[in-house]
Amino acid sequence: MKKIVLALSFMISSMFAHSAIMSCFDNADGTITCEGGFSDGSSATGVKFKVEKDGKIVFNTKMNEYSEVNFKKPSGDYTAIFDAGEGHQVKIKSSDITE
Amino acid sequence: MKKILISSIAATVLSTSAFAHFQMLYTDNMALPKGKTVELTQVFTHPFADEHTMDMAGVEEFYVINKGKKKDLMKSLNSITFQGNHNKAKAYESKYKARRMGDHILVLKPKPYYEKNEDAYIQQITKTIINVAGTPTDWDSELGLKAEIVPLTKPYAIWEGGSFTGIVKSKGKVVPYAEIEVEYLNRDVDTKNNKMGKDIVTAPQDSFVTMTIKANKDGEFTFAIPKAGQWGFCALGVGPDKEYKGKELSQDAVIWVEAKPMK
Repeated sequence: MKKIVLALSFMISSMFAHSAIMSCFDNADGTITCEGGFSDGSSATGVKFKVEKDGKIVFNTKMNEYSEVNFKKPSGDYTAIFDAGEGHQVKIKSSDITE
Repeated sequence: MKKILISSIAATVLSTSAFAHFQMLYTDNMALPKGKTVELTQVFTHPFADEHTMDMAGVEEFYVINKGKKKDLMKSLNSITFQGNHNKAKAYESKYKARRMGDHILVLKPKPYYEKNEDAYIQQITKTIINVAGTPTDWDSELGLKAEIVPLTKPYAIWEGGSFTGIVKSKGKVVPYAEIEVEYLNRDVDTKNNKMGKDIVTAPQDSFVTMTIKANKDGEFTFAIPKAGQWGFCALGVGPDKEYKGKELSQDAVIWVEAKPMK
């Protein structure tokens, strides 16, 4: 029982000790690639990802097996959002996404 | 008496030169907030004193590893003449698009350099690790190089006053009690004009120019970083190749780390 409690507390502390990270770049072919990750190096595979434009979700998916997402570049301003849960969201504005 | 004094000064300069060569694989920031094209300078010099810049003899290998994928960068190298504070020398510059997130391990294996003063060759296999956006991916990878310092501290994520720990290895095997030279890059590097800046600090005595430390029985060493900036670590003669063109070869492992100021 003691072992289980110890293991559980470690898992919880690990979850809160790392921060979510995302980096996006323009592929110059009309698409954008966003890569997700965590400060402890753990995978972002399966983490929710969405693109918002004018307050509406225009693209909604999950990070692939390589912890990345590729999507068609929306026209105008938009925001890429990596959503790994409360306190673990990263937002990048389109103006900060360059080649 | 004057002659003796001059000779002893010359001997001091010579001995300092003979023990403080550092292959640089320089970029001005190892911790990038986001992906960008970085400028790299490959110059063989003495980063603390800059009393002599050596002609690089060429490059055998230059590549990068990101997320486990290796990419050859040999074609990105351009020959340049680099201006040190005392002389000019053959060197290289290149650009690298560090676009993807994570660690980019740059590895440079220069052709052996003939050191006339020692009648021997020096080959310094050099690593510089750039990180994009803060997620760690490859920094602690062991590449199995003939001479390699494998970091136990992220070389790009050190606060001023922090420390760097590494393990000296040769083809994956630890090198017990390896001799390691440590130098502070004591100047700005003007990558646009390919020239070195003036001294930032003055050493109180020669042993502070090239600091020599030893690894422990497990090949591990730790060095406290007293000042922000870039620091080079060179494990001497740890590679298996001991001879080149019939002369002695010192196959060394170099790694560069960067400490940031807390401000």
